[in-house]
Amino acid sequence: MKKGERVRVGVDTGGTFTDFVHHAGGRARVFKVPSTPDDPSRAIAEGLRRAAMEAGVRVRDLEVVHGTTVGTNALLERKGARAALVTTEGFEDVLVIGRQARGSLYDLDWTRPAPLVEDALRFGVRERVAADGSVVEELTDEEVESLVKKLKRARPESIAVCLLFSFTHPEHERRIERALAEALEGVPLSVSHRILPEYREFERTSTVAINAYLQPLMGTYLGRLGAHVAGRRLRVMQSSGGSISARAAAEEPVRTILSGPAGGVVGAAHAAGAAGFEDVITFDMGGTSTDVALVAGGRLKLTNEASVAGLPVAVPVLDIHTVGAGGGSIARVDAGGSLRVGPESAGAVPGPACYGRSDLPTVTDANLVLGRFGGADLLGGEFELDESRAVGALSKLARAMSAAGGRAVSATEAALGVVRVVNAGMERALRAVSVERGFDPRGCALVTFGGAGGLHAVELARHLRVPRVLVPRAPGALSALGCLRADVLKSLSRTLMLEVGSDAKAQAARVERAFGEMEREARSALKREGFSDERQRHERTIAARYAGQSFELEIGWDGGRRLVERFHQEHEARYGYAQTAASIEVVSARLRSSGLVEGLKDERPRRSASASSNVKPQRTARVHFDEGARHVDVYRREELPAGARLRTPCVVTEYSSTTLVPAGSRAFTDRLGNLVIEL
Amino acid sequence: MKRGFDPTTLEIYRALYTSVAEEMGLTLRRTAHSPNIKERRDYSCAVFDSAGRVIAQGDHMPVHLGSMPMAVAAALRETSIGPGDVVALNDPFAGGTHLPDVTLVSGVFGGVLGAGDWVLGKTKRLRRGANFPTPKPQPPTPNPQPLFYVANRAHHADIGGATPGSMGMATDVYGEGLRIPPVKLVVGGRVNEDLMRLLFANVRVERERRADFEAQVGSLKTGAARLLEIVARAGREEAAEYARHLIEYSARMMRATLRTIPDGVYEAEDALDSDGVKDEEVSLRVRVEVKGERAVVDFEGSAPQVSGPVNAVEAITVSAVAYVFRCLVGAEEVPASAGLMEPIEVLAPAGTVVNATHPAPVAGGNVETSQRIVDVLFKALASALPERVPAASQGSMNNLTIGGTDPRTGREFAYYETVAGGMGARPRVDGVSGVHTHMTNSLNTPAEALEYAYPLRVRAYRLRRGSGGRGRHRGGDGVVREIETLAAARMSLLADRRARAPYGLEGGEDGKRGRDSVVRGGRASRQEAKGSRDLNPGDRVRIETPGGGGHGKDEG
Repeated sequence: MKKGERVRVGVDTGGTFTDFVHHAGGRARVFKVPSTPDDPSRAIAEGLRRAAMEAGVRVRDLEVVHGTTVGTNALLERKGARAALVTTEGFEDVLVIGRQARGSLYDLDWTRPAPLVEDALRFGVRERVAADGSVVEELTDEEVESLVKKLKRARPESIAVCLLFSFTHPEHERRIERALAEALEGVPLSVSHRILPEYREFERTSTVAINAYLQPLMGTYLGRLGAHVAGRRLRVMQSSGGSISARAAAEEPVRTILSGPAGGVVGAAHAAGAAGFEDVITFDMGGTSTDVALVAGGRLKLTNEASVAGLPVAVPVLDIHTVGAGGGSIARVDAGGSLRVGPESAGAVPGPACYGRSDLPTVTDANLVLGRFGGADLLGGEFELDESRAVGALSKLARAMSAAGGRAVSATEAALGVVRVVNAGMERALRAVSVERGFDPRGCALVTFGGAGGLHAVELARHLRVPRVLVPRAPGALSALGCLRADVLKSLSRTLMLEVGSDAKAQAARVERAFGEMEREARSALKREGFSDERQRHERTIAARYAGQSFELEIGWDGGRRLVERFHQEHEARYGYAQTAASIEVVSARLRSSGLVEGLKDERPRRSASASSNVKPQRTARVHFDEGARHVDVYRREELPAGARLRTPCVVTEYSSTTLVPAGSRAFTDRLGNLVIEL
Repeated sequence: MKRGFDPTTLEIYRALYTSVAEEMGLTLRRTAHSPNIKERRDYSCAVFDSAGRVIAQGDHMPVHLGSMPMAVAAALRETSIGPGDVVALNDPFAGGTHLPDVTLVSGVFGGVLGAGDWVLGKTKRLRRGANFPTPKPQPPTPNPQPLFYVANRAHHADIGGATPGSMGMATDVYGEGLRIPPVKLVVGGRVNEDLMRLLFANVRVERERRADFEAQVGSLKTGAARLLEIVARAGREEAAEYARHLIEYSARMMRATLRTIPDGVYEAEDALDSDGVKDEEVSLRVRVEVKGERAVVDFEGSAPQVSGPVNAVEAITVSAVAYVFRCLVGAEEVPASAGLMEPIEVLAPAGTVVNATHPAPVAGGNVETSQRIVDVLFKALASALPERVPAASQGSMNNLTIGGTDPRTGREFAYYETVAGGMGARPRVDGVSGVHTHMTNSLNTPAEALEYAYPLRVRAYRLRRGSGGRGRHRGGDGVVREIETLAAARMSLLADRRARAPYGLEGGEDGKRGRDSVVRGGRASRQEAKGSRDLNPGDRVRIETPGGGGHGKDEG
């Protein structure tokens, strides 16, 4: 490697391990370092030293892209800053009241989570802007002064500002911003028209408040990490699947709160893309929950309606659908005789019955009783499983099922039932992100990663008629790979509110003008970050709806020629009908600008090679299927060469996961080392 | 014929049928035009078996719990539903609740995918979405029986009558708006345009109404398509068998809950402030008898029906009872199927305020009286279950409607909203502030959405501090919502708990009563809790909603 050349490293912080992926000698290299939860940057510093050594460069020559859980954890554990909030007078309680609905209809004990900003730190200012951007009531200098005084006395660690209709007329927010920046130097500010210039005051306020809540923490963390990695370039994975500079992440940490899961989806999409598949459903099944997401035509799907820890987050986030079920989900028979699985989870402690510390029948126990781990223990044998305890737990469940339904149920049948129930929940999630959004999954690949996914993926693919399942090489490090491969992403938008009418040409020109302005801005910003014009991509979409609706559909902008027709088609595909008589409103123009990361050498896109060599299984094991038990081959993933063909049905075990391949499918490894199962 | 069932399969169908109802709701919400449906989600969707018994209902509006089945029953009684038909109704005396709630019902027939050719107005289908897996077409049968029924109910922001928003102070149902008995809106896939013209000639804001009807039909289609996918995969026998098991399942869950209530007779009395016509309380009485795994809920002794619009039809009373007992089942996801009420008998004497007969005005029965029925029932059950029953919540929905002509467009507008209040304290925890309770869970209209849609400006939306009742656990605070009109308009308010406060329990204090005013030229004047008035541009309507009752003596 030449001196001064930068080596990119993807870093993903997990609960137990911090994963690293980097490129040296034309191959991706993967390794793990134990995480240091009290200060995650220590583990990162250690890993970066190792990466630099392997690549033969200095640490300062590394370019680091980091997936972090610092923001998510602070939000989940409520360990953020003492933040203040400035609103329009009369709306000081918007964070408390929210949308005025309760989260659970029949739960008499339901309680709303406390607001991120406490009562005494929410301040209203006299001012008012109307929906059309006109000023109803001026913000006076006295009002600003009085606000500054109150905030000085309150000494918050950060401040969020969100005034009504600031996205139509940001001047009042700007004046408050200037006054606060001057008077409370060093206190970070989160201002709504900058972070999220879109309507709906509760969702916007919530987003801005989360930002303020996380700002001090994220600033400190990234600052510390920067110190560990002197002279480097540090970038952070956003929830939208692209990276931003550490500085931008420190200013707008709300954009990083789903950083980790986003890395997984991007990594899965790239792994599939390298194997030649552009349409992908990702399936990440862990211990307590499962994430699924759709990547159609290589494009990541975004949503503005996500929520984290029960709080709405209206900045673009990868559209990941989460199900509260995973390997640790507990099975039980309820008072009405139905077999429930989850949402309660055995967690790591006490853990499933087979971990030896409980008698809770979980999904993992069911898989074990069914022989689906192929007789192997977990984590490459480091973790022994207590099968007799699992059988005991499932037998007890079977007795409860027999009593409830009036039919005798064996432990094996109970285990099959647990798997069926959990699969049904997964299938609904997979359908929700594909079929129910007008996407036909019959041409795509299901990419599975996460410890528990491989045992369920092929069965799910069969139900959805997805023709193939891909288990990427090193599935444990997929999030870090996603960080490594993530493009630099800037999202810009302008609210337009144009009703498409007779002067379509003039309107199209206005939309074009908005795109032109945004693209100039994005181009120069990406250039500053070192992306030449050839390494930039700018995608134009518009958010449109029938005039009168509240929800927008996003469609690509084609200069406005077939806009109306394409909108009707999209509405039809999504909702089953179109209103050809209704007029269409273009709500906003959205630009997604990417700085493209160069392709990695050993991942040239190509279709999977046809398999050639047969390999020998490690052993055989007895596995229960719905149609009965049979002996199947068990392969060790680590021993499979590229291009290996497996005899099915079989079980493939590897360090952090197990894959079940039922009869009637073809399984092989492709040239990149991915395990591919064709149905 | 009791052959038992498979707990695994039961669980799969429980989740499956529930998700169909939820998805119908999602489609409706995302495609409707009126803020009341799309922003506030004032709707419900449900799936019924071939006999018209409800199998699953989305967690939308509790007030529709017991009343959706009656709507489908009325549609089946008075029409015969064939492929491609959609029946509409809102008649409170034939399956409806109050006039703005319009229910659409259709059948799901094998081989006809979601009656895919429904056409409303000038809408036409452009292409089929990727519905998968596609059910195999089956040969048409001469006299087809539906496999399921699907229904949805949405609160339309106007259904005619004297007051914009159709929630005014009429003294009979004729004054409240257009009454729709079960009639076919769509016949064999074709819209009955004559009927639509008649309908639209009698309601305000035709454009919005039409779009909302289209959204409702679209939602039925979504439900039908999903149900046919289930049938295509599992076969109609299994799908029907487990629909039956699900109904029995809900009944078992309810029986298990009733067993936790000590046997006995529990009685209580509560009242509405007035009917809006005469200034005297409208009394509600209940006597609950629990014995083993059955309960009888008797409203004997409640006031005779009144001339103001607070009469509840029987469907509402059944919904309120179903809601209270459903809460006692707990947080567990139990389908709101026909089985839920199987162990419970409701006795509501005809001609009373809890079972009003034609032609009583009923606009507020749904939204106000339903809340009081819940209050009186919980009050009775508090002595049986002191560890579980909460103090009274705000006990009103504070229904506000403002209508007129929008000077920006020259078009009519009709704004309808219900306002949150305080939740009653629970035996172990404070009540929640600024939240909808019991029979409604509709969202607010964001100020920024409201002001785009109407010539109105929200001036304040904040907690009404100190309005929750004190106690060991405090009642939640109500809210203050102040709305300025920018155009000449007519408003009407339908609210309660302005005279009698929400009760505390076990020594906890009552919550504060609500109060209402109109500010004109800087001067506030009291606004009747049930009444209408004309507004000038610049007038502000100020609603202060009740707080929840406290629970337990305040020791500090």
